[in-house]
Amino acid sequence: MAMLSALLPAPRNSRAGPWYLVLACLVVVVAVVSWSAPLFLTPGNLSNVAAQITPLVITAIGQTLVIITGGLDLSVGSLISLTTAIIVLDLPGWAMVLLAIAAAVTVGTVNGVGIAYLNVHPIIMTLASMSVVQGVALITRPVPGGTVPGWISGAVNESLFGLPAALVWIAVAIILAAFLIYRTRFGLHLFAIGGNPNSALMNGVRVRRNIVLTYILSSLFAMGAGFFLAGRIASGDANVGTVFGLDSITAVALGGTSLSGGVGSLVGTVLGSVLVGVIGNGMNLMNVSAFLQIVIKGALLLAVVSVQRRKQIGL
Amino acid sequence: MAAPLIELLDISRSFGSTRAVDDVSLTVQSGSVHAVTGENGAGKSTLMKILAGVIRPDAGTIRLEGCEVHFSSPLGALGHGISTVFQEFTLIPNLTVAESIFLGREPMRRWGGIDYPKLRSGAAAALARLESAIDPDGMVRNLTVAEQQIVEIAKGLSADARVFIFDEPTAALNSADVEKLTRLIRDLKARGKAVLYISHRLEEIFALCDTVTVMKDGRHVATRPTAELNEHDLVAMMVGRELSSFFPPRAGTVGEPILTADDLRVTAAAPSVRLKLYRGEILGLAGLEGQGQRGIARALAGIEPAEAGRIEKTDRDQKRQALPVDAGIGRTLASGIGFVPEDRKGEGLFLDLAIRDNIALGVETGRPFWTLAPNTTAVIGSMMQSMNIRARNADAIVGSLSGGNQQKVLIGRWLSSGVDVLIIEEPTRGVDVGAKAEVYKLLRAFSDAGGAVLVLSRETPELIGLCDRLLVVHGGAIVAEMAADGATEHDILHSAIGSRQAA
Repeated sequence: MAMLSALLPAPRNSRAGPWYLVLACLVVVVAVVSWSAPLFLTPGNLSNVAAQITPLVITAIGQTLVIITGGLDLSVGSLISLTTAIIVLDLPGWAMVLLAIAAAVTVGTVNGVGIAYLNVHPIIMTLASMSVVQGVALITRPVPGGTVPGWISGAVNESLFGLPAALVWIAVAIILAAFLIYRTRFGLHLFAIGGNPNSALMNGVRVRRNIVLTYILSSLFAMGAGFFLAGRIASGDANVGTVFGLDSITAVALGGTSLSGGVGSLVGTVLGSVLVGVIGNGMNLMNVSAFLQIVIKGALLLAVVSVQRRKQIGL
Repeated sequence: MAAPLIELLDISRSFGSTRAVDDVSLTVQSGSVHAVTGENGAGKSTLMKILAGVIRPDAGTIRLEGCEVHFSSPLGALGHGISTVFQEFTLIPNLTVAESIFLGREPMRRWGGIDYPKLRSGAAAALARLESAIDPDGMVRNLTVAEQQIVEIAKGLSADARVFIFDEPTAALNSADVEKLTRLIRDLKARGKAVLYISHRLEEIFALCDTVTVMKDGRHVATRPTAELNEHDLVAMMVGRELSSFFPPRAGTVGEPILTADDLRVTAAAPSVRLKLYRGEILGLAGLEGQGQRGIARALAGIEPAEAGRIEKTDRDQKRQALPVDAGIGRTLASGIGFVPEDRKGEGLFLDLAIRDNIALGVETGRPFWTLAPNTTAVIGSMMQSMNIRARNADAIVGSLSGGNQQKVLIGRWLSSGVDVLIIEEPTRGVDVGAKAEVYKLLRAFSDAGGAVLVLSRETPELIGLCDRLLVVHGGAIVAEMAADGATEHDILHSAIGSRQAA
């Protein structure tokens, strides 16, 4: 159970934020949804939920790294779209993968350098890159379509040892991130930067380099989500990622991670993503209009952020 | 004789056109405590930041046991055995104590992870050497200022530092913690470490240090064994002139009550407080640290409203005005009460704005929002001149000024707004000796001109020298009243402690 112990922050670690609140919310929401929509708890629907949630979980994990340092990455949605557009390009498999990685690393590096070295505010920087990347995605794939290579569809839709592939994708993302956040020096330095960047610098933390690295990682996680999503919808779509910018931030905030940085946890983000997914699925089952769902999601983010104590870690 | 532990040779550093440190040399032996003192802006902090690796010198060399060393960061300096406890700590609230001690030099495992057991035991060992009961797994945000200081020292110990630099370490400590720190520093000395101690406080320098170096205007003035000096000599070296009258003369006569508080309860459980402030006087609230002086002052200023009580303010036309305890800062300010907080950087000034804007705020106070802004250039110019604010011009950014000048700007704001009561916390915290006298003179001029001042200070001699009358506070209640003239620290301490025994 090494994975679980890494995922759950040790009790001493009180910079995890109130992640247990989202657990309570999740229990309540699952109860309400399964009571009002009996279809919810059927195995078919649950595996559907898992597959729906997977790209969000992966994106939100990358987003968590950025938010712990006190940043924000709005460009993840467009990068997911761009990745699906790249996947359906008529290229050999290795070239396509390399191109997708190159795109993600480029976007992350530009974001990180703009924020850490040129002092552009994270929201402005990633808002700008979101627009640029969205445009590039539309140029690459103006209308949805194309053919997704069989190995990607397989990796998304098959099952492994009886588990849906979606769970394997989630597990890999969680283990990777848990190691980064809780076991490496990089992870500790993320919290230090979020706590007080100037003090971190005085203690020899390479603040700028680490910030660039978090945006690159955030982009790479988003790219991973793009691969999964392309396999699921079996096409490239320059608009498919749009919702993930907002949804990933909502999921992270729901998980008790402070949007002002320094406080957060992986378990919170995973639970927050599941909550966002279950709410979405539940509303679908209850025939709530898709437009109204957008309204509700926005209101949810606002509500969560209002509840957060934004000066949680002030000395 | 062996090479000294640390030698600074001909160090210079300029910021823009000002030479903050000008050709200074300094030698420190191991097993000694070496004070570096001087007025604010004398360059001592810059010199220490150079030694700590925060800034690089333009010229000069640093030698460690005779070998020339260079470092580009505090971590690099720590690697060479130089540990610095900065005035503003570099701890991060959301890390544990152990993580903070090893931040930037975490023990690693072979596969790239942090070796947490080793990190924890190393931190525990360093804390144990300081005989501290701080939990290495506790979060830094839960520590007191004194505990944070100990963690900073532990950081140096765990890195096996041989030189410890303390930058104004007692500025934020109460007297019990100051004593503890003094013991710790003596202990470091006994272990053969070299300690550099930057301070304004003369009594600490004499009590703790073997040698003192005085700087002025970026230059080295003198280095002497403290045993050869007395306070008078030291002050004379610091300011470069004799300080004949440090404190201005006291008030001749006082007028009618200007601010009265009756049955004031700061919290529901606090004892009731009654006090009168008279026109023309400076009244001091004395007592041990944290006995409720601050609460009383802040309640009167409307910053932290009291639970109950009656506050009455008399204005210049003898009109009496009752101020409800929950009136708030806007009402109290409009009635003519200005407040100068201890934390002037956080609560008082707009550090990124110019002197002009910081003072203009006072002029604007109380004007209806639709009126055009008045031309404040003349007011501000004369204010800067009369207060002797040293800056290029009114457009200088307040954050770039020395502590003394910042304090003057803040006082200037309320003087220009026409208040006649000034409530001031720690009027000379972080203010150098020369500017202290000027601040005292300003406050006295204010009270002589028909105003009244209520002062809070940790430094009892300051209260005795500055005030006309003292109220001793203990446990939130006023337990004694005395004339400041002739009062001694002993008297005050006696009332403060005597009351504790009675209670």
